[in-house]
Amino acid sequence: MLPKIFFGYFAVVMVVLSLLIVTRKNPVHSVLWMLALFFHIAGLYLFLNAEFLAAVQVILYAGAILVLFLFVVMMLNLKEEVMGERFGKEWPVGISIGAFILVLFFFTINKFSQGPTGQYTIERIKAETHTKAIGSVLYTEFLLPFEIASLILLIAIVGAIVLAKKTK
Amino acid sequence: MNSADFIALLPLIVPALASVVLLLLITFSRSHAVSVLFTLGSLLLSFLLLFVAGGGTPRRVTPLFIMDAYSLFFIGLLFIAGIVVAVMSSRYLGERSMERGEYYVLLLLATLGASVLAAGSHFASFFAGLEILSVSLYTLIAYRRNDDRGNEAGLKYLILAAASSSFLLFGMALVYAQTGSMDFFQLAEGGRVPDLTVVLSAGLLLITVGVGFKLAVVPFHLWTPDVYEGAPAPVAAFIATSSKGAIFALLMRYFSLMDLQRFPAVWYGIAGIAVASMLIGNLLALRQNNLKRILAYSSIAHMGYLLVAVLAGGTVAKTAVGYYLAAYFATMLGAFGVIAFLSGEEGDAENLEAYRGMAWSRPWTAGVFVAMLLSLAGIPLTAGFIGKFYVVAAGAGAALWIPLIVLVAGSTIGLYYYLRIVAVLYGRVPEGEGGAVTGFPGRVLGMTGGILLTVLTFALLWLGVYPAPLIRILQATVARLVP
Repeated sequence: MLPKIFFGYFAVVMVVLSLLIVTRKNPVHSVLWMLALFFHIAGLYLFLNAEFLAAVQVILYAGAILVLFLFVVMMLNLKEEVMGERFGKEWPVGISIGAFILVLFFFTINKFSQGPTGQYTIERIKAETHTKAIGSVLYTEFLLPFEIASLILLIAIVGAIVLAKKTK
Repeated sequence: MNSADFIALLPLIVPALASVVLLLLITFSRSHAVSVLFTLGSLLLSFLLLFVAGGGTPRRVTPLFIMDAYSLFFIGLLFIAGIVVAVMSSRYLGERSMERGEYYVLLLLATLGASVLAAGSHFASFFAGLEILSVSLYTLIAYRRNDDRGNEAGLKYLILAAASSSFLLFGMALVYAQTGSMDFFQLAEGGRVPDLTVVLSAGLLLITVGVGFKLAVVPFHLWTPDVYEGAPAPVAAFIATSSKGAIFALLMRYFSLMDLQRFPAVWYGIAGIAVASMLIGNLLALRQNNLKRILAYSSIAHMGYLLVAVLAGGTVAKTAVGYYLAAYFATMLGAFGVIAFLSGEEGDAENLEAYRGMAWSRPWTAGVFVAMLLSLAGIPLTAGFIGKFYVVAAGAGAALWIPLIVLVAGSTIGLYYYLRIVAVLYGRVPEGEGGAVTGFPGRVLGMTGGILLTVLTFALLWLGVYPAPLIRILQATVARLVP
């Protein structure tokens, strides 16, 4: 019963926080609500026996990335945008796409049946601990995509420098 | 990983290393020529290494990559496209004050991402390859920073690609939840995908959204004309060819391994997308006066034609897809090549009216452009005709009558706007502006442009008149993809 109450709390609060993020007029408020959202996501990861993900979520997303977000928002100094209309004219399109996805997920969850399980079952992760399991998979079986993912960061750095550099 | 694995992966390792080396190189020398030559050299080396890697095929390198004849063929095609785009860019960048070295770093990495997709056999390599490709393209598209349309295109692509990636990722998660595996070959094993459950179909639907965005098929095509218009012409050529071709190679492997055609829902979904792409792509191109936008809509229609071959399935269809993609690559690169080489510093040569009467002052350039357009339209003696012929043959073999009727109707509509460009090229220069003004301002193709476009035109005609060698290569490579 207790896990269900906790899960219910996290689920409801996450939905409310997401709505707050997209409806706030002041972008700084949006970013701060996002911070709260990221903490709740981290809480949800703990329920899934994924303590490593929860830690990364807090350290990287809540810690590093949101600070960057705040920097950017403050640097842009959005005065007029705060005064203007919150949504563009296209919001009904967005709502209808969102509603469609919601209905789709509703049916999906209703009909969910467990297929064949993968290599890492809950029991195995509990025995091995999540951090160790991720580490051993990441540096053996998935070493190659790990290297490839590092290239993505390189591309992002090069791209950001090219785009941000002052033109002569 | 042992040494044989490394040899099999060499064609992917070389461009990755080359991009890092180039990044170090440009800190010492900002010479444009050095960057171009280094890029061309490393792509050529990677291409030659495909033959070395071919010795040990088929070989699975970790669950992520499969180096077989099928992936080697497509990687080869992507490297050739990369070389052509690099040559195209060399003059384009040479005349503009842009950051030059970084462009080639990103181009190399984008080609690498596309190759990772072509060799991918796992959701992890699928996603990693896709992200390398997209993240490089974000910057490449917005490379003309002083142009508002370029910035708009870059931002549009960034937001939509990120949204579509999230769809794709969630779809993969649902498929994994249902099947317990992210490995295409494990999914292909019997019993993993017994029937189309609701969860699996929702997963496939979301994956279709993600992939459909990258392929720019209807109804996920809305970004295409704006991005093609805003991107520099060589980058637009890259998006139209490498980015789409690589995803298509992966899609076909995924489809045939999981044998998804056997599900009616999937089949009708793909058929609907194919029919809509062929019709809407061709219809929307009719009213455009911007060459890059026309080519964008034309590429939407061409993806529709290719999907007809995917629907057909079987060996003939795979040969058809391989041939069509090769022909489409040569043609699109040629068409964008003409635009890129004729573009001046003030903007890309994309306005159709600017080309009026070009054939009279610049007959060879116009001739090359006409050859590319006729190939896109699928006129006999060009590669485009043989490609379309094969697609129709594959479709007829599988009795896909309705998609085939739409294909023929779409091609007929397409003929109109391709020939409209030809008519403009051979049109009369408006009176009153002085007879001396021979229509086209004084841009010439230049040496590199002349050689590159001549080679592409010859390739086009050669493939159209004597397709047997390529067909033999395709039968030895692409057609051998395990069903």
